[in-house]
Amino acid sequence: MDFSTVLSGFAVAFEPQNLLFCLIGVTVGMLIGVLPGLGPAATIAILLPITYTLEPTAAVIMLAGIFYGAQYGGTITSVLLRMPGEASTVVTALDGHALARKGEAGPALGVAAIASFIGGTASILLLTFIAPALAGAALAFGPAEYTVLALIGIFLVGTLGSGSLWKSAAAAALGLLIATVGLDPLLGTPRFTFGTDQLADGIDFTIVAMGLFGVGEILYNLEHRDRPQPAVPSFGRAVPSRLHWLRSRMAILRGSVTGFVLGILPGGGATMSSLVSYAVEKRVAKEPSRFGKGAIEGVAGPESANNAAATSSFIPLLTLGIPANATMAVLFGALMLQGITPGPGLMSEHPDVFWGVVNSMYVGNLLLLALSIPLIGVFVRMLKVRPGILAPLTVVITMLGAYSIRNNAFDMLLMIGLGLLGYGMCKLGFEPGPFVLAFVLGSLLEASFRRSMRLFGGDLTEFVQRPVSGTLVAVLVLTVVVVPVLRTVRARQTERTAVD
Amino acid sequence: MSDAEAPQEEGADEPRAGGRAQAVVAGALPIALGAFAAWLAFGLKLGSLTDPGPGLWPLVVAALLVACGVAIVVVALSAKVFEAAPANRTESFTRGTGAVLAAAAALAVYASLFEVVGFELPTLLLLFAWLRFLGRESWLTSAAVAVSATAVAYALFILGLGVPLPHIIAF
Repeated sequence: MDFSTVLSGFAVAFEPQNLLFCLIGVTVGMLIGVLPGLGPAATIAILLPITYTLEPTAAVIMLAGIFYGAQYGGTITSVLLRMPGEASTVVTALDGHALARKGEAGPALGVAAIASFIGGTASILLLTFIAPALAGAALAFGPAEYTVLALIGIFLVGTLGSGSLWKSAAAAALGLLIATVGLDPLLGTPRFTFGTDQLADGIDFTIVAMGLFGVGEILYNLEHRDRPQPAVPSFGRAVPSRLHWLRSRMAILRGSVTGFVLGILPGGGATMSSLVSYAVEKRVAKEPSRFGKGAIEGVAGPESANNAAATSSFIPLLTLGIPANATMAVLFGALMLQGITPGPGLMSEHPDVFWGVVNSMYVGNLLLLALSIPLIGVFVRMLKVRPGILAPLTVVITMLGAYSIRNNAFDMLLMIGLGLLGYGMCKLGFEPGPFVLAFVLGSLLEASFRRSMRLFGGDLTEFVQRPVSGTLVAVLVLTVVVVPVLRTVRARQTERTAVD
Repeated sequence: MSDAEAPQEEGADEPRAGGRAQAVVAGALPIALGAFAAWLAFGLKLGSLTDPGPGLWPLVVAALLVACGVAIVVVALSAKVFEAAPANRTESFTRGTGAVLAAAAALAVYASLFEVVGFELPTLLLLFAWLRFLGRESWLTSAAVAVSATAVAYALFILGLGVPLPHIIAF
């Protein structure tokens, strides 16, 4: 492994401009993590047009910061208000809030911040060693392998979500269908353009992401607008005691490993790893009865796990070009907008971007650790800003951003339409995640499928016969069998956690 | 600012789980969409597996969409315990749905006015209407936030980022 590129990545990460955007990213991330409503995927989507003007490394450093910063922020409201800002911090609320009620909110938040820091940092370190090997292996992939890989990605993201398998599959199919709007990627024939030039170039990814995640979530939240304002308990100093630390340290270690491994799997990610980590901690604990009543391990484990997973979920995106979750799909789009194709070639073609972004995460995690403790009070006060004020401001930024992509008002209308689609999907129980992911992978999947078909002379069995793609097909089949089992286990675990 | 504490009665209007009819609609829509797309795909050249034409892939995807829709309808109609099947989970439409449609309509008007009269007035009006009527802020808060946010948007997009938004105020 060539460490000189890793080291020069540090030089990139420490450029003043990149440090600034890292700081902006993690602060915004933490803020939206605290605020219920907009998630990291929506926030990143809304900010995409603004990153057009930035240099690629700075843009991705900022957007990545929003993603992992949100994991820190979500914890604060989980512990203080039992109101998780993010799905990945739901389980933290169980013991975190119990601690807060005992007057130990400060130490709980302190441990959570330290656990998050250790989990995130350990994960970056592991990424540094594993990513090059994975990218190296993927360099030999041809169209057949990419076809199967993209299918695995779409399938796992669809099935590991919380909703119905059929609805996830339908959402993914719709995403693939919308991706075919525009010119045929190989022949240039216009498809589904309804005779208008506006659709000839296809639908811009930014419009899809901003419409479905941004406008869709804003519209959806309009219907739930009258939530009572919660009272914030006092939390004292965010410094853990010796006992807290002794009880937490092994949980942090286990959580980091769990998070790293599950984060690499497409669809796994932060939420699942925090649930698994909680279950593990409860099982290994000497007195499992303390859990749910304020066991610090129940905060430390999941918090290190969700941050480790958030970091390691960059691996499939940066090495294979396959986004592991909805936020990564938006980041995939962000890289493409900058003229950078995420995939095995990224590390060798743009080592400055790759290592600059990866190493900026050390800085980001350090900033988050430093910021989270003194700024908790400030972030909690932000909760007092009413959604009725935040929503219209977000909407205007989104609309102006959509216009600025092509200086075209048609794009705004398209985005509103997609926003309504996103709202309707939520109401009817479809998740927008698989849709956006399938949209992003759609043209890659179609082009590699058709290239393989030409290569194989129309013989579908070639996918199984080639060693690498055959192995990937086996993985795909295995996941079709294993994932439903995993879902049942997880459903039971969640039930048990809820009952206790 | 008194508006902030007042409207709590809306809590009764939180969306509930949707019924069987809505679950069937959730499957019928993908079927209709998939069928329409398949019909359009037939109009393009399908080609063969050896040499796929532009219509083949969209047709495969449209067929997949129809198949998923059929499965959702079957689950909705046949599930013994309706609530137990995750595919049946929907959320009922409430009075708030009207607000959502109004908001989308306001945005569409905004988008169409934008290139005609510049971005300042539509932005100001959109913000004000949203704050006052959808957010139920006071007249004063709505006006103050709308004016300052429009000014900030002007500074950020036009002066800061150099985005060529159509505008009537020039410096």
